[in-house]
Amino acid sequence: MAEVLQSIANSMDPYMLQIFVNIGIAIILALGLNLITGVTGQLDLGHAAYMSVGAFTAAIITIRFNLPFSVNLLIAGTLAALVGLAIGFPILRLTGDYFAIATLGFAEILKVIFLNLDITNKALGLSVPPPNTSIPMPFYVWMVTILVIVGVTFIQNSRFGRALKAIREDEIAAETMGINSTRYKNQAFAIGCFLAGIGGGLYAHFIAYINPSDFAFMKSIDILNMVVLGGLGSIPGAILGAGVLTIAPEFLRFMSEYRMLVYGALLVFLMVFRPNGLLGGVDFRKMVFRIFGKREKKVLR
Amino acid sequence: MNFKKFGVLTVAILLVVSLMAGCGGGSQDTGKATTGETEGTETVKIGFLGALTGDVAMYGQPTLEGMKMAVEEVNAAGGIDGKQLEIVEDDNRGDKQEGAAITQKLISRDKVVAIVGDPTTGITKVAAPICNRSQVVQISAGSTGSGVVELGEYIFRDTLLDSVAIPALIDYFTGDLGYKKVAVITSQNNDYSVGMTEVFKTAIEGKDIEIVADEKVNDGDKDFSGQITNIKAKNPDVIFYSGYYTEGALIMKEARKQGLDVNMFGGDGLYSPTLIELGGDAVEGSMVFLGFSPEQPTPETAAFIENFKLKYNDKTPGLFEAQGYDAVKILAEAMNRAGSTDPKVFRDEVAKTKEFKGVSGTITFQENREPIKSPVYLLEVKDGKYTLKQKVPVTVN
Repeated sequence: MAEVLQSIANSMDPYMLQIFVNIGIAIILALGLNLITGVTGQLDLGHAAYMSVGAFTAAIITIRFNLPFSVNLLIAGTLAALVGLAIGFPILRLTGDYFAIATLGFAEILKVIFLNLDITNKALGLSVPPPNTSIPMPFYVWMVTILVIVGVTFIQNSRFGRALKAIREDEIAAETMGINSTRYKNQAFAIGCFLAGIGGGLYAHFIAYINPSDFAFMKSIDILNMVVLGGLGSIPGAILGAGVLTIAPEFLRFMSEYRMLVYGALLVFLMVFRPNGLLGGVDFRKMVFRIFGKREKKVLR
Repeated sequence: MNFKKFGVLTVAILLVVSLMAGCGGGSQDTGKATTGETEGTETVKIGFLGALTGDVAMYGQPTLEGMKMAVEEVNAAGGIDGKQLEIVEDDNRGDKQEGAAITQKLISRDKVVAIVGDPTTGITKVAAPICNRSQVVQISAGSTGSGVVELGEYIFRDTLLDSVAIPALIDYFTGDLGYKKVAVITSQNNDYSVGMTEVFKTAIEGKDIEIVADEKVNDGDKDFSGQITNIKAKNPDVIFYSGYYTEGALIMKEARKQGLDVNMFGGDGLYSPTLIELGGDAVEGSMVFLGFSPEQPTPETAAFIENFKLKYNDKTPGLFEAQGYDAVKILAEAMNRAGSTDPKVFRDEVAKTKEFKGVSGTITFQENREPIKSPVYLLEVKDGKYTLKQKVPVTVN
């Protein structure tokens, strides 16, 4: 099995494969943040910090213990979730802008901690050896990505997911309906951080060298961009946003110096013409059923 | 209910598949275009890896300018076996993910035989495993951090290493200048600085000099009064600052303001006209070590500076231009010696580079592919200019 996958991976263009993997990792991160910011409505400006927790945990586990990669990722995700909970517990009582500023602050604190810890090699960062798995990285990343997409879809359409949406729409109304908003917000935050940790672990092993400065404020903004561009709260939107924003810089490469200028203009135009994001407010199920519904009627006539 | 879930899932999977399919299609198109080019013109391609935009473009741009000049010279002299050299340049914005993607692109699409870059240690470390796996020679023109060439036998660099220069300098400081007490300042969010301080601390073990103060600052800081107050109380003979010139200039200004009358020394991070512009009188007497001296250049360096000024509107080349130039020249020389442009073949010749009279210093690759540049040039700021203070020979252990 592993050999077959390896030979498939070898036959593909490595450059394309590299971008695919980047997209996969971006999707995992964007879906995690989408749950916190899109579904629950808590603006998180420090998502890269939880990613860094996962990245460093996974890297250190591979370097020191070389555990199987799946176990390693689970530990990385769990630790990121725990850190998220420890931070979220006090600050999720804040709302709106205050919460956003608090996440920003804690993200900076985490970065400074990593810059000073010996185990993370301070500012020098860590070179990460290949992960302990026989499955080639591109397939591994995409397997995890699909699992995450499926998992997040189920979460969002469950009672839990609807409770989160209720909190987003009106927290006080949700409370009066018997939703323990603090508990739900904490749980959503922990799940989002868990996904960030997994994404970080994959990132660390794929890029093979990590450094605390990689997970600075701009990285958080990049992830937030994907979620907002795709449409807050929309899973297909987050996936599309992650895909578009990862491909765009590579696709625009032919413009050389003007590349990032065009990239920025693209973002502005999208926000002007689709203020709710690419797929914001688009209900795919309704769309699909409407199309199918119409067809059925035609057949009946 | 189940039906609805199924619907969402289908759409999600369809999206992923269409995304992959869309990209796959695009890849084939561009792939063909590049191959067409290669077949049409007989060139030997060298990839440039570095930032042309963004925060670290100030290292990428000059490296590329130096490389371009070297390629012109090599081509004017007949190229490699009659084939012309060509640079494939791509901007990575100083972003690691883009750096990895570009390295893959240069190797698999553009079919480069060697990559020069990245000027920063971080992206060099990201690119190195890819180059080594694909058996393409990589020469980093700029990275000084530890653990770079260890990443594979195809990985080289042509920079002056702190671990080579600092031990030689310490002998000079303790011997000729009689320094006994040093105050160390590190920029703790700068990997270059943290790395150099580590090298420094290892190097002074067992030497007749001690660290009396060990202060931490951050890149971007403006106020160093606390650190300087602490240092002043310890009364050191010299300040060692391992970071960059902006903070270096401000540190010295603060030191002079508080009446601390000792000089600062540091690595090539402090070598910039900006240090003198910002620091003014306060940086008089500050010392930096480099692999070459623009003050008393070797004939090679003098010719390089002159030609560079002609080509680029009287611009004076700095360290990164020189290192980029040398990297291309080392590659060209190795290819000519090996009589081959196959990286698997000329890699061995790159590794054999000895006493290469580069414009950024005389370069010898050791057994472990780490470069030795000897002598080390210690420059001093005098009358608002970098002037040569001392040539310090390096003893290879």
